[in-house]
Amino acid sequence: MTDHPANGLDDVVHQRVRLGIMAIAHQARQVEFGFLRTKLQLTAGNLGQHLTVLEKAELIHIEKGYEGKRPRTWVTLTAAGQAALRDEIAHLKQLIQQVEQADTAPTTHQ
Amino acid sequence: MTHGSAPQADTPHELLATVRDLTRQVRVAQRGTWFPLLVFATVALVAIPVYRYGPYLDLFHTCRSGDDQMVCSGENPTELGYWTVALVLAYAAIAAFYVKRSRRRGVGTPIRPYVIVGIALAVLMAAVSIWLTFHPLLPIPADPFATDVVEIKAGLAAQLIYGLASPMAVIGLALLVLAWVERHWALLAYSLGYLVIVAILGSRFINSPSLWYFLPDLLIPAAVLLLGAAVFALFRPTAEAQN
Repeated sequence: MTDHPANGLDDVVHQRVRLGIMAIAHQARQVEFGFLRTKLQLTAGNLGQHLTVLEKAELIHIEKGYEGKRPRTWVTLTAAGQAALRDEIAHLKQLIQQVEQADTAPTTHQ
Repeated sequence: MTHGSAPQADTPHELLATVRDLTRQVRVAQRGTWFPLLVFATVALVAIPVYRYGPYLDLFHTCRSGDDQMVCSGENPTELGYWTVALVLAYAAIAAFYVKRSRRRGVGTPIRPYVIVGIALAVLMAAVSIWLTFHPLLPIPADPFATDVVEIKAGLAAQLIYGLASPMAVIGLALLVLAWVERHWALLAYSLGYLVIVAILGSRFINSPSLWYFLPDLLIPAAVLLLGAAVFALFRPTAEAQN
């Protein structure tokens, strides 16, 4: 049972929005709050909550600053975040593979 | 995704599909393919007056004077200097464009490998061109003042080295890196097509008394780059065009 890929899933990462945040931050290297909000179609409050969860788990780094007079919040994936994203995707692929193998395995009727 | 709740409802398939889709959207938002092509087309067009009116600076002492003429071997240091400086400035402008756009859009840019490889290739091109001036891979006529047309036979390796040391090839090789960092298949196909055109142009043997003999070597790649810039600008996604 311990080998089952579902056991390796991290509850913090295994969530559609947080996985989306991490996938975007991984590809973008650095991503701004507004871009995340648009792409994930979230309210500012909802996105903020998910970012707090990821930040507390030390999977992302949040940097606040200004561009001109405009406040900007930039999100970057930490090294732990990169590893967690990699692991999550690997586990998801393993899960799919196991399900597909189970579906194609011959069944015995007695 | 508005509420971001009920993660248990997402199957592994759906989650992976979401990751792939978001990654693709970010890649599209990061692309700015038209700008480097436009910059290099401009650099190639500006090179035309440099080739035509730039003096031959005998920096490497390769010129020999005859009765009333002077024959020089190797690339004109003025042209080489132009290309080295122009390419480095072009990459600086491209980096500035991508960084500025990245800040405006709120999404990082993957441009650094492209700029580093581009500048490294420009410096390498200059070094190889200078090396070739002193160690030519093509046979040099015994009488440099002879006016007879002599067919120069160059091996494939020599042709390849001269070809790769040309500024137009250096631009094309760096575009392959841009296609990789932007994960842009259309740009990859375009870059390969561009390199084929540059290779065909570079393999021609030119024997012309015209002072504009170099024109096709600059005008054709410039036209291809301009056309590419126009096509990539025209067919960029709507969201990208609005920013």
